[in-house]
Amino acid sequence: MQFVLPKEWKGPAALIASIVVLAIVFTFLNPRFGSLENFRNILFQVAVPLIIIVGTTLVIQLGSIDLSVQGIMGAAGMAWILLSANTRLETDYGIWAWVIGIGIGLTLGLLAGALHSLIKVPSFVVTLGTWYIGLGIGIILYGDAMLPSLKSDVLMAWPTKLTLGLPNAFWLAAVILGAGVLLSRYTHFGRGVLAIGNSETIASNTGMPVHTIKIIAFTLAGGLSALAGILATMQLGAGSPDLGSGQLFTVIPAAVIGGTALSGGEGGIMRSAVGVFLLIMLNNGLVLAGVNPAYQSGVFGAILIAAIVAVARPDRGILKIEK
Amino acid sequence: MELKQTISTARRRFGATVVAAVALACMAGTAIAAEFKKEEWVLVASVINTTNPYMISNIEGAKAMSAKLGIPLEIVNSNNSSQTSISSILAVLASGKKPIMFVNTVASSDAPTIVDAVGKAGGFVTIWWNKPADYHPADVGPHFVAFQKHPGVSSGRCGAKAIGDALGGKGGVVMLPGVQDSTTSQTRVAGFEAEIKENYPGIKILDSRPSNWDPQLGAKNARDLIVKFGSDINGVWAADDGMQIGAMQSFENAGLLDKVKFASDGLYPTTLEDIKSGRGGNAIVGETFHRGYMASAVGLYTAYLAASGQMDPATQPLDKRESLFKLSCLTPANYKEYLKYDEPDAPAKFIEQLEKVGPWAAEPMPLVGGGAEEMPK
Repeated sequence: MQFVLPKEWKGPAALIASIVVLAIVFTFLNPRFGSLENFRNILFQVAVPLIIIVGTTLVIQLGSIDLSVQGIMGAAGMAWILLSANTRLETDYGIWAWVIGIGIGLTLGLLAGALHSLIKVPSFVVTLGTWYIGLGIGIILYGDAMLPSLKSDVLMAWPTKLTLGLPNAFWLAAVILGAGVLLSRYTHFGRGVLAIGNSETIASNTGMPVHTIKIIAFTLAGGLSALAGILATMQLGAGSPDLGSGQLFTVIPAAVIGGTALSGGEGGIMRSAVGVFLLIMLNNGLVLAGVNPAYQSGVFGAILIAAIVAVARPDRGILKIEK
Repeated sequence: MELKQTISTARRRFGATVVAAVALACMAGTAIAAEFKKEEWVLVASVINTTNPYMISNIEGAKAMSAKLGIPLEIVNSNNSSQTSISSILAVLASGKKPIMFVNTVASSDAPTIVDAVGKAGGFVTIWWNKPADYHPADVGPHFVAFQKHPGVSSGRCGAKAIGDALGGKGGVVMLPGVQDSTTSQTRVAGFEAEIKENYPGIKILDSRPSNWDPQLGAKNARDLIVKFGSDINGVWAADDGMQIGAMQSFENAGLLDKVKFASDGLYPTTLEDIKSGRGGNAIVGETFHRGYMASAVGLYTAYLAASGQMDPATQPLDKRESLFKLSCLTPANYKEYLKYDEPDAPAKFIEQLEKVGPWAAEPMPLVGGGAEEMPK
């Protein structure tokens, strides 16, 4: 494979190959793994992290990090459900629920981007702050009243409903992913992100609007986390500030596994997306294969390391995580 | 001889009277020294987070207790972290007032650190739900007033009975335990498995997937299990309602909600609504009834009795230091009996009852046992 494919494809191709190998093994262990039903199930489950990872990848490509994912998901999800028809309040603001939900994410992203870029606060610290601000907003909105559930059967059924044979949740993620790839590859912004990640000084000296690009990347990431929070709320049919629990540790490893170096200037959205597929599929496969829950975490880790070692061997330089 | 004996008896009597008088004087002195002054004390309720309905109810009970006793209340939100829990409690203790404390511990291992700090601050604490198995209030001292919980085994048995009966003793069930190493989850799981094994031999446990008390993870695992077993799943048991809410959504999305029966623990408000409305063709068949406000009220009241000198923990029997309180099995047939405990004035009424009958006899959760919870064989 190394000799046939162009260099930029080697990483993802090897990763996809390892996904295929795992899929064959899991299907052998339980034929239901390879069923259409499970295929749809996996696509349903990857939808939320796929939306998040578009923003995560852009920020990591800058050489920064966005930890605010889970907080923003909770804040946006709670705002959205309380403004949509729900069991707690009689309100239904329709489209405004979306505007305000996503608006919260964009605002927190903008805040993080501006503080990081203009005042030079490390992104690790500032997004940790916006994580807790988001969580705080979620908790205040949650208050001490009843857990809000969605009233609209149409909204609750939407993520699972099939369009052209695939769940809507996945189509939404696919559209975001497609837009992200186009933005990243074919715009000044996308190229600027990589340039800044490679060397901010050079990018700045060549007249690139470094601050603007950084702020846009963080704002987009915030908005996408918010959208993911709304989708997750719809999937669950109920609101909770802890809705994003565990997502951060799906998307950041997925990006790194896909070959997006934490040092910036490398990788791509599609590669990160392949990483998401690997992680979600691995978890699903272990459940279907009937691995004892007590061993599941351990087996998950071991297979993950084996897969990455196999994939990354020829490309150790690209991964840049040998330190 | 007779005279000698009389004098000797008189001396002994005199001696005994003096000893008794001195002892009485000492006791009176202690009573004066330990006179309970409300302004020296603060009620503290430490909860795992402020988003889980059970924790919100814990806070509600603590607020009602504070209003009743006229002692100010501090709430500690642990944000799901032992570190946050301990450091926040230490901060409250540093305020100078003596704490009367209820702690819903994040992890078992938090208990000794917290109890120790409360002791040094001159306070009294009751721990709910989690403590290390070999850490007993009677060994520690009176400041660790009591450890209290509802038996997890009963909870699991309630769920197993409800599902077993609803399925007519035949079918396949899947289990969604909570955090795998939590005692609460382990005892509930043991109760469920034991009841099925002993009384419902026709029920097969197909799979068990710990879902960390997380509705999202409950939903995800349910989806995977639906793919794995399809229509072989006739029943779903979850160790708490949060995970059940997630699982029910997955079964509804798969169009299977009216073909499967559910049982769980906690009767969250949403779950009660689902029972009332008969969602999914009466999909929920069993729950347990206990309320967070009752736990915090009983916990705080027990500690208050110790702090105010009305009860000496050191002289209490084992079941009042390590207590198991009754857990009621709730079904769609009897849920109406429990609705009164969810009325807005229910916490205040429950506390009035506590004042009358004490912390160990209040309905619907009188004391039913003590010591370590016995696991089924």
